[in-house]
Amino acid sequence: MENTLRQKARELLEKGEVKVVIGYGWNKRKTHTTPVFITKPQDVEKLIFNPLCVNNLSLYLTRKFPDIKALGKPAIVAKGCDIKTIAVLISESQLKREDVVILGMSCNGVVYKQELWKGELKPEIMPTKCHNCDVRNPHIADIIIGEKVNFTPPDTPAGMVFDKIRELDKKSNSERWDFWIEHFNRCIKCYACRQVCPLCYCERCIAEKNMPQWIETSAHPRGNLAWNLKRAMDLTGRCTFCGECERACPVNIPLNLVNQKLALVVKDAFGHKAGYDEKVHPPMIVFNMEDTEDFIK
Amino acid sequence: MTTKFLKKENLGKLIDTLIGEGSIFVAPRMGARQVVYAPVSKFEEIVFDYIIPINSFKEFLFPQTETVAAFSIHKEGVDLRGVEIEPKETVIFGSRPCDAASVASLRAVFNWDFKDEFYNRREDKAVVMTVACTKADDSCFCTTVNLTPDSQKGSDILLQETSGGDYAVEAITEKGKGFMDRFNNFFEPLPTAYSPLPTVDIKPIAGVDVQKVKEWLKDTKHYENPLWQELARKCIGCGACTFACPTCHCFDIVDEGSAFEGERIKNWDACQFEFFTLHTSGHNPRDTQYKRWRNRFMCKFNFYPNKFSSRGCVGCGRCIRVCPVRLDITEVMEEISSLR
Amino acid sequence: MDNIYLPYLATIEDIYEEAPDVRTCRLVFKDPKVRDTFDFKTGQFALYSAFGLGESTFCIASSPTHKGYIQCTFRKSGRVTGGLSDLGIGDTMGFRGPYGNWFPIDKWKGKNILFIAGGIGFPPVRSVIWNCLDRRKDFGDITIVYGAKSVADLVYKNELAQWSRMSDVKLVQAVDPGGETPDWKGKIGFVPTVLEQAAPSPNNAIAVTCGPPIMIKFVLQALNKLGFSDEQVYTTLENKMKCGVGKCGRCNVGDIYICKEGPVYTAAEVKRMYNDF
Repeated sequence: MENTLRQKARELLEKGEVKVVIGYGWNKRKTHTTPVFITKPQDVEKLIFNPLCVNNLSLYLTRKFPDIKALGKPAIVAKGCDIKTIAVLISESQLKREDVVILGMSCNGVVYKQELWKGELKPEIMPTKCHNCDVRNPHIADIIIGEKVNFTPPDTPAGMVFDKIRELDKKSNSERWDFWIEHFNRCIKCYACRQVCPLCYCERCIAEKNMPQWIETSAHPRGNLAWNLKRAMDLTGRCTFCGECERACPVNIPLNLVNQKLALVVKDAFGHKAGYDEKVHPPMIVFNMEDTEDFIK
Repeated sequence: MTTKFLKKENLGKLIDTLIGEGSIFVAPRMGARQVVYAPVSKFEEIVFDYIIPINSFKEFLFPQTETVAAFSIHKEGVDLRGVEIEPKETVIFGSRPCDAASVASLRAVFNWDFKDEFYNRREDKAVVMTVACTKADDSCFCTTVNLTPDSQKGSDILLQETSGGDYAVEAITEKGKGFMDRFNNFFEPLPTAYSPLPTVDIKPIAGVDVQKVKEWLKDTKHYENPLWQELARKCIGCGACTFACPTCHCFDIVDEGSAFEGERIKNWDACQFEFFTLHTSGHNPRDTQYKRWRNRFMCKFNFYPNKFSSRGCVGCGRCIRVCPVRLDITEVMEEISSLR
Repeated sequence: MDNIYLPYLATIEDIYEEAPDVRTCRLVFKDPKVRDTFDFKTGQFALYSAFGLGESTFCIASSPTHKGYIQCTFRKSGRVTGGLSDLGIGDTMGFRGPYGNWFPIDKWKGKNILFIAGGIGFPPVRSVIWNCLDRRKDFGDITIVYGAKSVADLVYKNELAQWSRMSDVKLVQAVDPGGETPDWKGKIGFVPTVLEQAAPSPNNAIAVTCGPPIMIKFVLQALNKLGFSDEQVYTTLENKMKCGVGKCGRCNVGDIYICKEGPVYTAAEVKRMYNDF
């Protein structure tokens, strides 16, 4: 698989079809994977693909990275879940389909609990998104790399995130409030969630607007709640559950819970799931005569 | 100074006594599925099997959010009142030698010329009880920056774990000695036989020459080297590294409140944020991410050592652990060391 | 407890509207002790607060030779300057300072002084101008080259008129092309060009300049062309600051903290710095 990837990458660079291949490589000590930007055909050997390739590299296609844009047309190594965010970026006019070559990787899941990784993929070391993945065979790609994966996700979403959502749904408002306040209180306002999110591409985030000051910058409960709720609302109907925000959070705020809860709400209300079709706009940014209004109470 | 012995059960009694006296006892404990420095209320909350907490303990000397003044605005003018702090004694147990070494760096920046009494009063009331490291992970690199896993620097008291789970304890500073004298019923004489656990052996990263890195950075010509852009390309510009870093000290000052009353607050800030250096005019001296990242690296290995004669980096490895894209500061040191 | 973040309170005694969105406030400290003992040197800066909105950094625009009050001039452009602009005569501002170094005018005795300023970069230069004018006999020729985008954008219009009437001051005023009015009698052109045309002599001279970064860059080139050495040229670097006392870590240009070692530097010193401004 890696050989095919390298070969395709080399061809693209040699033919000049792309100027940079955004992919995964090893760190110096070969313990972790890290994003690499290959601009020379002779460097394609640095490209790797394995279950430790957790990052959603589509982040680097956004306008947050003018230096990368300046390199020229990119090809991107993307798992199905990463392609979902690319689809949203295209549907939101952040990217044109023809401006990126997608090297879609067949995927059997990724590893979050790296300390438990012994070279084989077991369900207990995979994140919730992999348990429910219906895009292990990339759904939008220019070149698909790897063999077809046979995997049928469960009808009812499974895994820790969804179990916890169902548990919280059964609780009272005040219990849920306490749950979230406890978690948000830990927020240190490092904005890793925002910076790692491919869909947080605003040129000036509301957290940095101070006329008026919409969100207090202090890491006190008021400021933390405002920030985390605001971000969750902005991702409603757009979040593709790549899970990067929660993975990046240094204080382990369970951001997947809030984002997936909202994704379920949107699915119920609008029948929309983000990231499957780059021609479909997220429901919160379009007006439709058929929109139900039963959420207005 | 003399070495004493702290039995585990006496540690529990020490905690109870301190908390009874109104002190704060900070120690490694679980917080949201990871080990963090946080106040504990009893012995049982402490995690003993840990490498290094994910946060540094700087938040107990330099809180993330601290009110420095309060004001109320009315027709006749403004009432303004500076905040007076009277910190409680804060015992930081289970600090690591790298973290302890960072205290001198914070002290330097908060005291050159103008003195920040918010920091000083907190540091005065802090007792740093460091436990020498018996384990390390692949992000630890203290020996690469000339520290050791059993370094005394910055600690008031240095503890060494024994095979029985007790500690051999040495007072390093007068403050530490005073603390041990105060609780001499818990700090017992050293038994004739005890077996200290061996300190972990961390090999310095072979390809890194810190002195060379410093010299290279000092040359202003190298500021424009294309290497910077290449090395920092993957940086996403979050503040995780700076907030986790024990020596990063940058902050913002903001006003919060209603139209009639409010507070002036000092908040942690990060040189990695785009708006950190943005002028009102729209000009930004560090307008792209690699410039911001270059500033952080320069600060650690050039500005800090030159300006404050203290360490900008203690090798705790937190910036590597928390980085969502695994931008590894030691790899950059290696790259620069390998330049001719 | 000594609190380095606690400002003095000052009453706005007078307000002059200098240009669209630019105003000068005359401040008097509320505490009589501070009023009597407060002193500063020309070129130093301070942090001014609009309570509830925050603090903003700019220079002290008046001269220390004018006792009993201080002045600041700022453009309404952000949260804090917006708040400061909403204040009226009699209202309270916070003031923290003076901070930083100053123009070493005592070392300039007997020299000709050339002032070059652009737009809203005039206030720090104005402080030096008044300081020199109040000690007129200490200095040789005094030349002022000042330009702004348009006639309306010129600040200190009254003082410009006053200086133009002084026989021992040479004043060259300019506006950018397109910024002139039908009755404009000054020059039309950008400050560096106007400066080159005015061709002041570098002999026994000191140049003081402040303005937008791009203007300073070309002014330094023009001065070099005219024969000024970098040691003869002084400027003041304004970086974003929050604390003003060397702690908050954002005004640094390389290992130089502008708030502590600056903001006043010679062009020679600026050229030795990391390219970080």
